[in-house]
Amino acid sequence: MHVEPEQRRRRHLIGLTPLIDVVFILLVFFMLASSFMDWQSISLSVPGDGRATEADLRSTVVRVLEDGQVEVDGEPTTVVGLRERFGEIFADDPDHAVVVRPQDQAALQHVVRVVETLNAAGGTRVTLNREPR
Amino acid sequence: MRFPEPERREFGENVIPLINIVFLLLIFFMLAGTLTPPDAFDVEPPETREARMEDEPEEGLILLSADGELAFEGEEITFSGLAEAVASRLRDDEPPMLTLKADSAVPASLLLDLMDVLREAGAESIMLLTTPES
Repeated sequence: MHVEPEQRRRRHLIGLTPLIDVVFILLVFFMLASSFMDWQSISLSVPGDGRATEADLRSTVVRVLEDGQVEVDGEPTTVVGLRERFGEIFADDPDHAVVVRPQDQAALQHVVRVVETLNAAGGTRVTLNREPR
Repeated sequence: MRFPEPERREFGENVIPLINIVFLLLIFFMLAGTLTPPDAFDVEPPETREARMEDEPEEGLILLSADGELAFEGEEITFSGLAEAVASRLRDDEPPMLTLKADSAVPASLLLDLMDVLREAGAESIMLLTTPES
């Protein structure tokens, strides 16, 4: 007489298949819903209303052109040059004010690169402002 | 000649390693990922090399796309609507924490327009979210 298989099947009275279904659904949910992005952030101070203040008169102006080129007081420079130049300036005077003036169509990526470089060089008073019209 | 009948393997025996792996994956995704509500539209943030690390905040998050679409805390909004929302947020809690997630292609004029709106609403500074450069 052959009885054993009948008993074996009873071990799985709580079906395994629904469990797997649920676990798969949970897995898919978490795979789709969770994000693995690393975030960084830079602080931007909200600029004034575009009128030159007294601090602006003593500040260095960094212009960001549409194609991503950088000009300091009218001289073209690179991001590396910017870092060296402002490293020296901030070593003398950490409170030196820098105004970043991007051209209207300059992409945020270029602006961010300049602001980040200035922060990394030790700048504490970096503001963003419009080009004067 | 009689061959012994091949032993019928139980269904569960094959599946248990699979379940183990799936459970491990499940636990990995639960612990390693962060659950975030989906953004109102796709935004590709700019890249930085040496900015501070930050978690993506849920409150006070402003989303700005390259075309000028704007969303505040997950809901699409206009520039004037944003001014009101931010102003009421600033009245409610101190210190206000505003975070901007903007597309890397946003033109600077759009960013400055947004900054104007925020200044009028009374905000003083904003955190700009970026991703580490790959």
